[in-house]
Amino acid sequence: MLFSNISFIFIFLPVTVLVYLLASPKKKNTVLLTASLVFYAWGEPIYVVLLLLSAMFNYFCGQDIEDRRDNPVRAKKSLAFAIVINLLILGFFKYYALLMESVNAVSPAEIPYREFALPAGISFYMLRVLSYLIDIYRGEAGAQKRFVSFALYLTMFPTLPAGPVERYAELNVQLEKRMVSPQRFGNGAMLFVCGLAKKVVLADSLGIFQEQITGMQIGTFSMLTAWIGCAAFAFRLYFELSGFADMAAGLGRMFGFEFRRNFNYPYISRSVTEFWKRWNISVASWFHIYVYEPLGGDRTDSFRQMWNLLLLGILTGFWYGARWQFLWWGIYFGVLLSAERFVWGKLLVRLPKAVQHIYAVIVIFIGWAWFFSPDLGLALDYIGVMFGVGASGIADTQTLYFLISHWLLLVFCIVGSSSRGTAVLHSIIEVPQSLQGKKIAACVVYMIIFIVSLAFLVTGTGESGLIIQF
Amino acid sequence: MKRKQRKRRDQTDMAAVNRSVSRAEIYKYIMAFALLLYIVLLLIYSSGSTKSFEEAAGNVEAGIQTDSLVKQNAQALKRHYGLNGADYEGAVLYMAEDSISVEEILMVKVKNDQQVHIIQDAVRDRVNSRKNSLENVSPEQVKLLDKARILVRGRFVFFAVSKNAQEYAELFTESL
Repeated sequence: MLFSNISFIFIFLPVTVLVYLLASPKKKNTVLLTASLVFYAWGEPIYVVLLLLSAMFNYFCGQDIEDRRDNPVRAKKSLAFAIVINLLILGFFKYYALLMESVNAVSPAEIPYREFALPAGISFYMLRVLSYLIDIYRGEAGAQKRFVSFALYLTMFPTLPAGPVERYAELNVQLEKRMVSPQRFGNGAMLFVCGLAKKVVLADSLGIFQEQITGMQIGTFSMLTAWIGCAAFAFRLYFELSGFADMAAGLGRMFGFEFRRNFNYPYISRSVTEFWKRWNISVASWFHIYVYEPLGGDRTDSFRQMWNLLLLGILTGFWYGARWQFLWWGIYFGVLLSAERFVWGKLLVRLPKAVQHIYAVIVIFIGWAWFFSPDLGLALDYIGVMFGVGASGIADTQTLYFLISHWLLLVFCIVGSSSRGTAVLHSIIEVPQSLQGKKIAACVVYMIIFIVSLAFLVTGTGESGLIIQF
Repeated sequence: MKRKQRKRRDQTDMAAVNRSVSRAEIYKYIMAFALLLYIVLLLIYSSGSTKSFEEAAGNVEAGIQTDSLVKQNAQALKRHYGLNGADYEGAVLYMAEDSISVEEILMVKVKNDQQVHIIQDAVRDRVNSRKNSLENVSPEQVKLLDKARILVRGRFVFFAVSKNAQEYAELFTESL
């Protein structure tokens, strides 16, 4: 089950909110944990056991690491054991099929293997687990004594399917003490509605549009059509991930949690470096804190930094998906990050801002071709078409058709992916002079957004082919 | 005397610390073993297969009693389940010729994990629809619907309503 689901919005969420608000402060975590397990079991009943077993394993690992902190060697061994087991679990469920496919591709005889459905949210879950264990080892947080609070940190349903990845050291205070107020609840509901609209109105509509173009055979569409398809995917991915992030943040706020912002208008970036600071911020921060910095970060020599950036790109790429083209996506961005830092970064900042922005949009959008293409070859073919190789021309009647039939959607996407979208919304709410008038205006505006989203939800599938691969 | 008491207390504290260290360590190994056991059970009972749909379905179809069940086409799949066969790697549907009989077998191999939920929802809707229409007409058929088997193995989804539903389910599992 995802947040963009009728059963979630009209059954699960109201019941959970009601029980949560009625529960005593001591029982609130138990209520939320129970709801999270029910949420997970709704779609993946068999993997709830995996969730609980893993939570118990990591709970004891955390205590063991903390108990050994006065003996660094033993603490390190304990941490290493915990990390290895967790990575083996992740590797088994997410990367095993890729490994076997690759082995069978070169092996003279096919080795049979069993396929598994990917446990929902396993990638986000594992980042949280590793964050918890490493923070304890570093002494940045104490091991959680209460299993309910610990399991809640790992499995909290607002953040389980699509993040954000909150560091345990930053969230542990809220696990024990948080405030629910009507204002925070209302703000959370508004944020949830915005996220829902991003997903079901924009992302799902873009999905149909994008697949029309990117599903066409190479050679049958023009250069401009290829760019439109790529842009459609770029906006689709952004609105889907940021939509879920907004919904998660909104739900969290309704239950008293404050999560940090996960997307900060990434497509207004003027460089790839800036883009990585605005896109899926919690995941990018995680890799920066737990991978890049321990490898030396910016403190090492140029060659080492370039290697570290490349490794960062590769690991991040593989985190996004268990296919080889995600590896290439990661390498692509790793090379660009290094190039901006050591080759053309200083030249870039001297260029006009508009040129910087165009450069960033072009290189970012090219990178997405690896995401939506089924394999590396098709990704390269598609990128070729974007630059005229194998294209049926610069533009054709199809280009005109796509632009005319989807111009409004594209306008919404461009406005919605910048701060102007929020500014337009606020300017409408600020029209009445009185505070009461503003409140009524806000209710009306968000109710309209919610009703429109419901209409799209009822007529569409409400599910996604992008978010589930995490 | 006081120094001796203090020393004895420190030794007791250290022993207590060591005991608590051992407890967390023991439990973590127990949970690691439990995880391993769980994965082994998953492999045995709920993993899928990399066999082609044609190969797996062929093994199942060989065991279906075709005197009571007839293979249906893509239009029937769309009409009765709302599923478009072209969206999946493979789909086969058998239904009883008699419209009162609820006996059906559906086997689908999906292209991605999300489609599993779509199939499951379609099957649930189909079962509920049949129950509603036969509730006061044929209670024996409704009982068969209550005993329907639905299995998900990786990307294979299997659904059977029949007095032989259990045998068909075993046939499906073995075919993978």
